[in-house]
Amino acid sequence: MNTILNINGISKSYGKVKALNNLSLKINKGEIYGILGPNGSGKTTTLGIILNVLNSDSGSFEWYGEPPSKYSRKKIGSLLETPNFYPYLSARQNLSIVCKIKEVSEKEVDRVLSTVGLINRANSKFETYSLGMKQRLAIASVLMGDPEVLVLDEPTNGLDPLGISEIRTIILDLATEGKTIIMASHILDEVEKTCSHVAVLKMGNLLTFGPIQTVLNNQEQLFVSSDNLDLLKLTLSQIDGISGINQVSNKVYLMLAEGKTSAYLNKALFDKGIIVSEIGVHKSNLESNFLELIK
Amino acid sequence: MLNLLHIEYKKLIPYSTFWMIFGLFFFFTPIVFYGAGQIKIEGFPIDFTTMYNFPNIWNNITYIASWFNLLMGMLIVILVCNEFSFKTCRQHIIDGHSKADFIVSKILLMTSFALICTVYLFITGSLFGFISGGNGSFTAQINYLLVYFIQALGYMSVGLIIAVLIRSSALSIIMFLFSILAETIIRTLVPDFIGQYFPMKIISNLTPVPTPEGMITEQMRNTIMQEEMWLNTTLLIAIIYILAFWRVAYFILTKKDIK
Repeated sequence: MNTILNINGISKSYGKVKALNNLSLKINKGEIYGILGPNGSGKTTTLGIILNVLNSDSGSFEWYGEPPSKYSRKKIGSLLETPNFYPYLSARQNLSIVCKIKEVSEKEVDRVLSTVGLINRANSKFETYSLGMKQRLAIASVLMGDPEVLVLDEPTNGLDPLGISEIRTIILDLATEGKTIIMASHILDEVEKTCSHVAVLKMGNLLTFGPIQTVLNNQEQLFVSSDNLDLLKLTLSQIDGISGINQVSNKVYLMLAEGKTSAYLNKALFDKGIIVSEIGVHKSNLESNFLELIK
Repeated sequence: MLNLLHIEYKKLIPYSTFWMIFGLFFFFTPIVFYGAGQIKIEGFPIDFTTMYNFPNIWNNITYIASWFNLLMGMLIVILVCNEFSFKTCRQHIIDGHSKADFIVSKILLMTSFALICTVYLFITGSLFGFISGGNGSFTAQINYLLVYFIQALGYMSVGLIIAVLIRSSALSIIMFLFSILAETIIRTLVPDFIGQYFPMKIISNLTPVPTPEGMITEQMRNTIMQEEMWLNTTLLIAIIYILAFWRVAYFILTKKDIK
């Protein structure tokens, strides 16, 4: 069975607010599926429903082709919103409870604590942990029993830059092992660096979904600059294979058709008598595409 | 099932509130019971120390201990509300428990608490009884211990349902105490034959106020006989209430989102 999760038209309202509107989505084995959207777009609601803590108003979903049950959840490592542990118990005692629930070996506790770098603080009470350490412990709990499927909601929340990159490495390692990862995030950069597929939500509606390159049309954006910007723009518009011309302060941004390079652009401008003072590749236009999508 | 209870005790053993409340119960029940036997009322020729004698001791000690059952109810309120405020109920479901597992865990926990308290009363009662040296029957009224067990379970079940409904610790404790008061007020507004079936009334009636031995007249013996028959009915109704509370608690949990 290749389909891990199949969501059929789930809707959910909080009073008058429609948090999720008829969402359908299919996630296959081995995909790293990013659920992207601004705050309040329904990401956590979606994850809450597929993990049975929120009740949907209508629609259904299946894990591994079966109706949801506690047995399917035992095989999924999940982190939803905040790390939830008993403050008066140590990390080890807390994870030992998770062991019992997931019915996995107690040996897992030390393994996952080492993976997230908390083994030295294993016997400290959870309430003494910093925000970043709490988040690491939550990641540790997700890894318990080496699940085939992971559901992560804002996994790098509250972590310092080092922590973010460490968690990202853990996620990418898991991905290369062929695990399926469903990840909600409002941080585009995070999704861009880790996900193979993406679904974009806005106010409870699914705007688009599919492989990340297709959805966000991840094309490179170039910028050029010269003494006479008006002339530059006019000239650019006359050159073949250039689109999306857009001036921001003293730079003109544009996109090149496939197969064209910055050398082509430079030559074309030079041929038309324009000396370029600056030319370069702008960061990917993923962000602008995303912002365009959710506008 | 045992796995669920094991998880509950993993959470409890390091939890100081749990030890504090049980400590209060273990410490004060025998002291208050001893104290009650030392009461002397001037011009009232009754020797209260006869309350230590078998078989009456079982009625007497369970009556005294029943006051501490409110404490047990509050302990359950605190423990269940903790699961919501720490969001561990939510996490347990995410990790692979069902909502039924949550309720069953708490039922097992309450049953074990009630059992611990009952066994403790059995031991304390036996000690008092043997030391006081009365020669009444040890077993004649030992059924009061069973009745006490059901009462403890009853108060805790009320705690469970309030905690699952309200989820906030402070508010739930207030509601728990208020529900007893509120029921008393409502009872004054309805006819007695209805009022006597109200849940808190039924549960508190399980440990009837004992009558000191010296005060029993022939006429009273009749009433006491009737009371004992009534106790069996009360017990049955209490058990039905408790089962209903568990079912409703589960229903509330499945209908509400777990945030």
